[in-house]
Amino acid sequence: MMNLSRSVALISLFLLPLLSFSFSVDNPTDRRVLVLLDDLSLKSSHSIFFNTLKSRGFDLDFKLADDSKLALQRYGQYLYDGLIIFAPSTERLGGSLDSKSIADFVDSGRDLILSADTSASDLIRSIATECGVDFDEDSSAMVIDHTSFSVSDVDGDHTLIAADDLVKSDVILGKAKIEAPVLFRGVAHSLNPTNNLVFKVLSASPSAYSANPSSKLSSPPQLTGSAISLVSVLQARNNARVVISGSLQLFSDRLIRSGVQKAGSHNQYEKSGNEQFVTELSKWVFHERGHLKAGSLVHHRVGETDEPAIYRIKDDLEFSVEIYEWSGKSWEPYVANDVQVQFYMMSPYVLKTLSADKKGLFHTSFKVPDVYGVFQFKVEYEMLGYTTLSLSKQIPVRPYRHNEYERFIPTAYPYYGACFTTMAGFFVFSFVYLYHK
Amino acid sequence: MVKSTTKDAQDLFHSLRSTYVATPTNLKIIDLYVCFAVFTALIQVAYMALVGSFPFNSFLSGVLSCIGTAVLAVCLRIQVNKENKEFKDLAPERAFADFVLCNLVLHLVIINFLG
Repeated sequence: MMNLSRSVALISLFLLPLLSFSFSVDNPTDRRVLVLLDDLSLKSSHSIFFNTLKSRGFDLDFKLADDSKLALQRYGQYLYDGLIIFAPSTERLGGSLDSKSIADFVDSGRDLILSADTSASDLIRSIATECGVDFDEDSSAMVIDHTSFSVSDVDGDHTLIAADDLVKSDVILGKAKIEAPVLFRGVAHSLNPTNNLVFKVLSASPSAYSANPSSKLSSPPQLTGSAISLVSVLQARNNARVVISGSLQLFSDRLIRSGVQKAGSHNQYEKSGNEQFVTELSKWVFHERGHLKAGSLVHHRVGETDEPAIYRIKDDLEFSVEIYEWSGKSWEPYVANDVQVQFYMMSPYVLKTLSADKKGLFHTSFKVPDVYGVFQFKVEYEMLGYTTLSLSKQIPVRPYRHNEYERFIPTAYPYYGACFTTMAGFFVFSFVYLYHK
Repeated sequence: MVKSTTKDAQDLFHSLRSTYVATPTNLKIIDLYVCFAVFTALIQVAYMALVGSFPFNSFLSGVLSCIGTAVLAVCLRIQVNKENKEFKDLAPERAFADFVLCNLVLHLVIINFLG
């Protein structure tokens, strides 16, 4: 009996540190990633992508998508910080996973990479629809582009596309420009127009369309042109990041290693832009880049250091906030010139752009407006690719006290003068009247 | 007709002037004081017309001090004028003492209302 309880205690002591190896507020990069495959040969056919992840310190757990022992949580705690689903043809996920549990996974702030391919199952489509992305309803349709295809396309049906319409964001795709086009072969998807959190990272050229390559078109295709998105991204309101790709081959070693020449263009590239694209995108999705953290809002009157409990109208005040960006290993000061603060009561009375110093401190000073009430200092920062910052602090503003008005009103000086002149005149008059001869 | 009216006006003016010269000196001093007070009041009204009536209490206070002291001076003149049969029995010193006291009260009120 004693031995059993002692060994259980020892084992739980060993397990305890394991529970802290996940992402936290101080260290937002994901650590443990579950990779669901529908075919274990994907481990070797996509080895370059998985090796780049492993070399950056991720703990990858490869499982078959219909493994009956799959579980994302145990006893209410999530076991993984990130999920990669490279199982486009799986109808049912094993274990306790289904589209609802994956939606809950994203709702808890964890990240997801989802990839469909030429045979996207209903399960994958439903997960994608949850994220605001609609795949083409025709299950045999692929993206075809007769002007932007890659010259190395073996089948000759122009389904291997060389795409270079990337989103302009240094946060998502890294500072280095991706020179070579990205090779893509898969299904098209479009974005739900009512969803304003999802956006395209790689879109198709205006001459692309989605249709079955092996049969003749009987009616004009539904999805055409730049409305087709090849790779889209969602940053949820809780800052969870989701990448949805229409092609599993985008991540494969074959396309990563292959050279690319876009039809109609003379530039031939030794290596496609796929490796750089998927590496940078995975850095962004797993919170190695573009993750901001803000310290508390600090405000005080000019010349003081303590925060007052109440301001008076027409006071001069100074406001500052510290913002840091996660560099993958440490918190670096964030530098930008478009962070703004509002002094808000039903509508912003004051809107000022904060000036940054190199140490991540954003500050400004302004005069409290001539309106009294309960105001809020609000910093709402939403930049494409960065986590949203939504900070606010409430502060009341009072009008003048009766003894804070100016003592003598300058416009009334002539009246003051007149009264005193009259008094002096009366005094002089009485003397003159009494003592004249 | 026109010539006679101008001549009448001129005669009127001359007779007024000669009568006025004959008034006692103390009455002339009071008249001068009244003119000074009314003139100060007119200046303040002109200023208010220019600038607007923002501290209205100050404006009223200033104008009232001038007009008030003018009114009190006129009362003094009536009571002190020997040609007035009504105030024959009133000693001029009493009239002047009343004048001084009323002016004191007036200026007290004025300074309070001035803000």
